[in-house]
Amino acid sequence: MSLLAATSLLLSGCAAAVAPAAGSGTVPSSGPNASATGYPVTVDNCGTAVTVSAAPERIVSIKSSTTELLLALGLGDRIVGSAFLDGPLPESLAADGANLNVISDFLPGQEAVLGLNPDFIYGGWQSNFSADGVGERDALASLGVGSYVSPAACKGEYMPRPLTFDAVFTEIAEAGTIFGARPKADALVATLKADLAALSPKTTGTPTALWYSSGTTTPYVGAGIGSPNMIMTAAGLTNVFETVSDTWTSVGWESIIEADPSVIVLVDATWNTAASKIAYLESNPATQVLDAVKNQRYIILPFASTEAGIRNVEAVSATIDQLANLSG
Amino acid sequence: MTRGLYLGWLVAGTLALILACALAVTIGPATVTLTQVAGSIGWHLGLSAEPGAPVLVDAIVWQLRLPRVLTAALVGAGLALCGAVMQSVTRNPLADPYLLGLSSGASVGAVCVVILGLTFALPVAAFLGALLALTATLSIARVGGTITPVRAVLAGLAIAQLAGALTSFIIFWAAKGDSYREILNWLLGSVAGASWGSVTIAATALIVVGTGILLSATRLDAFAFGDTSAASLGINVNRTRWALLGGVALLTGAMVAVSGAIGFVGLILPHLVRGISGPGHHRLLPLVAVFGGLFLVIADTLARTLFDPRELPVGIITAFIGVPVFILLIKRKRSHLWA
Repeated sequence: MSLLAATSLLLSGCAAAVAPAAGSGTVPSSGPNASATGYPVTVDNCGTAVTVSAAPERIVSIKSSTTELLLALGLGDRIVGSAFLDGPLPESLAADGANLNVISDFLPGQEAVLGLNPDFIYGGWQSNFSADGVGERDALASLGVGSYVSPAACKGEYMPRPLTFDAVFTEIAEAGTIFGARPKADALVATLKADLAALSPKTTGTPTALWYSSGTTTPYVGAGIGSPNMIMTAAGLTNVFETVSDTWTSVGWESIIEADPSVIVLVDATWNTAASKIAYLESNPATQVLDAVKNQRYIILPFASTEAGIRNVEAVSATIDQLANLSG
Repeated sequence: MTRGLYLGWLVAGTLALILACALAVTIGPATVTLTQVAGSIGWHLGLSAEPGAPVLVDAIVWQLRLPRVLTAALVGAGLALCGAVMQSVTRNPLADPYLLGLSSGASVGAVCVVILGLTFALPVAAFLGALLALTATLSIARVGGTITPVRAVLAGLAIAQLAGALTSFIIFWAAKGDSYREILNWLLGSVAGASWGSVTIAATALIVVGTGILLSATRLDAFAFGDTSAASLGINVNRTRWALLGGVALLTGAMVAVSGAIGFVGLILPHLVRGISGPGHHRLLPLVAVFGGLFLVIADTLARTLFDPRELPVGIITAFIGVPVFILLIKRKRSHLWA
């Protein structure tokens, strides 16, 4: 509720104007406005047919992106357990998530998850559903436990190429349909769309940027078709690796130095802080010469806001704001 | 093989190594002209008063490519040399520089510091881990002050398994998010992070320990005929074995510290080169060092350019090139191999 309350101004202005964005794979049985009563719902999720006959009541959420979306949809009381969170909840969801049952900081095993007696598992990564993770999807289905993976994280032919904000919004709407909160999902999408539309880059031109996720000897950077490129493009930046057809990729420093990006976007995670990356960039003789390093033109984003989800718009906004405050 | 033919191989190999290094510095994802490469290196060596390249190009040549190419050459030479010695000392064709648990021990040290976020301390931690593993292996293998090859191999196997489990456990216990990626890169072995510090470490170890190993060629020859024969040739078998294992451990530890556990070079190169030089160590050791360096320089150059701008782990290339060559050798030159 608090997220909606905080943005109620925008909501009242825009919600009515936005048509529900039905997921491409979503086939609600009772028309495009299927809500909590619109079951059964069948979706093609990363190649797995998921049929939900009633709104899941006991959900386990894996990773931050899924947990935050459920909380934003007001479904916090249906989450029986969460795990593998990437960082703290954003302020807007802190109250909703205060009673969250976090069962592990890591990916839990099948038994730990099944012990919670869930009827549905919502995973942020496809790899979460493995025999040594929360379980194979088929095996879970045979136990009567439904599963759903963030479509942005699908692999192979189901991977969005490239990921767009429309795809992120479609995912939110589809999750709304599956979890029986479609009206709220539509309202959330409307808010996010309005927020995104209200943002405009304050820079002149499109400065080049490097998305530096992790790694020292072989840096792991944002490539052309994933959420890093989506966020950078929306913030008026040109990703120096936008031509690499991958979500993230490993590159050599040589390519980065040759590109000499105008700014460097640093992902801040507890296990790999932005500060540690800055320290590395400024101590390595090879990277010291970079224009962005010499002028300390860094943009810092929390890890959990950088994976496809409800915080991507906030990441764009943060990027634009930080960009405006950088020295020339 | 005649002495002349052998010298021909050695000179040709050395020239090829120098040429490969020079060429490798001019190749890379970034567009850098020959003039800029020469200008940058010339300026740093004090041969010209003016910087010969723009500051970014200069950084690419002097801070990235040159130290990386030199590290690859030194590490390749060191690992090949260590592999040749290990195979002789343990009389085991499957021996490689990591036989005594060295790389596994180094991995434990490396994983600890990466998990703690102290990446800068990685070389020191890896080296200490390698030495710790070696000490453990040798103290298990030692019975009444003597070490037999079989006991050393088995003790190394035990320590390697234990250290491997320890590494996996630390990753399982502590790796959050994508921090496993950094560890994985290191475990696969790579000279991507080479700096002038790496060059200094690798060069010092290779010169100091490598010289000692080259001077031990006669003793290594004697080992080929077994401990009893070696003893009858007036060699203190036990002391020599301790000294050689210790030397190899120091050199391998230094190499692992700068590049992680690059596989294959130390195992296959000695077999390949033995096919050219014959089993005598006076000929084998210098040639294996030269070809080891040449091999890794070529493999690493391919690793960083084939999928530009992406980088391939060098271990994939070493196996893709080395295995077919090795298979050919098994087929055609059986007499030069061990079996």
